[in-house]
Amino acid sequence: MNWLPIVLTLKLAGLTALILVAVGMPIAYWLAYSRWRWKFLAESVVALPLVLPPTVLGFYVLVAVGPKSPLGQWYQALVGHPLAFTFEGLLFASVLYSLPFAVQPFASAFGSVDPKLVEASWTLGKSRLATFLRVTLPLSAAGVVTGVVLSFAHTMGEFGVVLMVGGNIPGVTRTVSIDIYDEVQALNYTGAAETALVLLIFSFVILSIVYALNRNMWVVWPMR
Amino acid sequence: MADEMTADFEKRYNGGPTIRAALGLPVGRSHVTVLFGPSGAGKTTVLRCLAGLERPERGRIRFASETWVDTDAGVMAPPQARGVGYLFQDYALFPHLTVAGNITYAIHDLDSRERRARLDEMIRLLRLEGLEDRRPAQLSGGQQQRVALARVLARRPRLLLLDEPLSALDAPTREQLRGELRALLRGQRMPTLCVTHDWVEALTLADQVAVMAGGRILQTGSPDSVFSRPANAEVAAIVGVETVIAGKVVGRQDGLAAFDVAGKQLWAVEASGKGEEFYLCIRAEDVILEIGAQPSSSARNHLAGRVTDVRPAGPVSRVAVDCGFALTALVTRQAAQDLDLKPGTPVTATVKASAIHLIPR
Repeated sequence: MNWLPIVLTLKLAGLTALILVAVGMPIAYWLAYSRWRWKFLAESVVALPLVLPPTVLGFYVLVAVGPKSPLGQWYQALVGHPLAFTFEGLLFASVLYSLPFAVQPFASAFGSVDPKLVEASWTLGKSRLATFLRVTLPLSAAGVVTGVVLSFAHTMGEFGVVLMVGGNIPGVTRTVSIDIYDEVQALNYTGAAETALVLLIFSFVILSIVYALNRNMWVVWPMR
Repeated sequence: MADEMTADFEKRYNGGPTIRAALGLPVGRSHVTVLFGPSGAGKTTVLRCLAGLERPERGRIRFASETWVDTDAGVMAPPQARGVGYLFQDYALFPHLTVAGNITYAIHDLDSRERRARLDEMIRLLRLEGLEDRRPAQLSGGQQQRVALARVLARRPRLLLLDEPLSALDAPTREQLRGELRALLRGQRMPTLCVTHDWVEALTLADQVAVMAGGRILQTGSPDSVFSRPANAEVAAIVGVETVIAGKVVGRQDGLAAFDVAGKQLWAVEASGKGEEFYLCIRAEDVILEIGAQPSSSARNHLAGRVTDVRPAGPVSRVAVDCGFALTALVTRQAAQDLDLKPGTPVTATVKASAIHLIPR
């Protein structure tokens, strides 16, 4: 059993989820509370990865991180090697690809917190940030956990984007799904079956935890 | 100016009415102003503008020497900077925090000893002993209301804004909490602006009543003056109770209380048997007018007086009688003609003791 792709995939998914917490929360907060009339455009952009074929997204990311793009050049000047076909490039693509899976649950959780609770906190003298940390975030815990887990799980299973952006470099960009594909191509069905089973069990366990947690959340924090 | 709060502003809603309010409140002492009017009058909007949760389109709000809002100068103080205590209609308790967590929410930055002392003080003041570790969902409506009050009072606000503080409660609880709330507000050294559409609540709590309808404040004054002498027909229709007199108990007998009002003795049925100072409220349709000498009847109160004004209103006439104090009676137009009621006519007004509604002051 080849563990390298599994470890790599877990690392990629974990980091992606982590970055999405940091990046997705402000975006989700803005989407949930902004009254900007063109907000729907931003919402569409965030949702794009849901409908775009992974190859299309992967193609654009590949162009964006390539040595001829400003981003690619800036990155190469900063760290000394190109971004394409590296783990960092793959991470960048994964964050974009899983963005809606984090932002949408976050935003809907923030949006369903009773605005009166937020206003109550403001009138009690708490800043917007303190209010977010002490009222909005705890009351959105279920949605935040859902968003983190969904983006983690979604990254675990990505294929097209990895192939386009990362290629197939063992230990660097060769994730589980690529590994399974390779095994099948090589007619090594036993190896593919083992890895596939690990992925299947893992996904099932993760989702079970999320749903169990979501149910318990309402018992621990009775809303009304 | 230094010890007064003044507000004069306008708030427009898209497609809705424009809400205009001009108010003055003393600062730094207990004083309750009740904003009274039907729902949809814009009362809550006034509170929200004062709290900083809405931005008025035009006007000024000053609190002592501070300027909270000045649209000409582009000043708009955020709610965090105003130091108000806002009690939401449904209390808006934080569901994920315990009672103690809710009460200490705003005083998190105090050191733990002081915070504990403040919490204990609030628990005592609002009689929440034993509930500290409960969550809001495990409390009754009355308990939730008291927790919400404790939460706003814990940080010692400079102005208290109450949005229909008792309307979310069932009738018996409301009855009980009304008196408690009055005692509590009297004990606080801050002004209160309280929104309600319940006239009993208004009379119970208010030092000053501002009647509001259609987005405008129609009349401001002491409770008895606003209720007994409405400035116009609109206010009269809103307040609904035509006669409100302040009175003191001078004697008690068989569940009745005797009041001395402008030299006349009035008897009223008294439920509680407690208290000395009351508002006596009499609806115009409960007053019977008779011509001539004092008749004998089952009603306890017979008041000699003179008609001062007769105003037809549809099928009935509204008759103002001066019997030492102003009393309004509602009679049919036919009756007004038969009795030849006109200003100066001597009459006897009869009111049953059970028709006088007593509200403790």
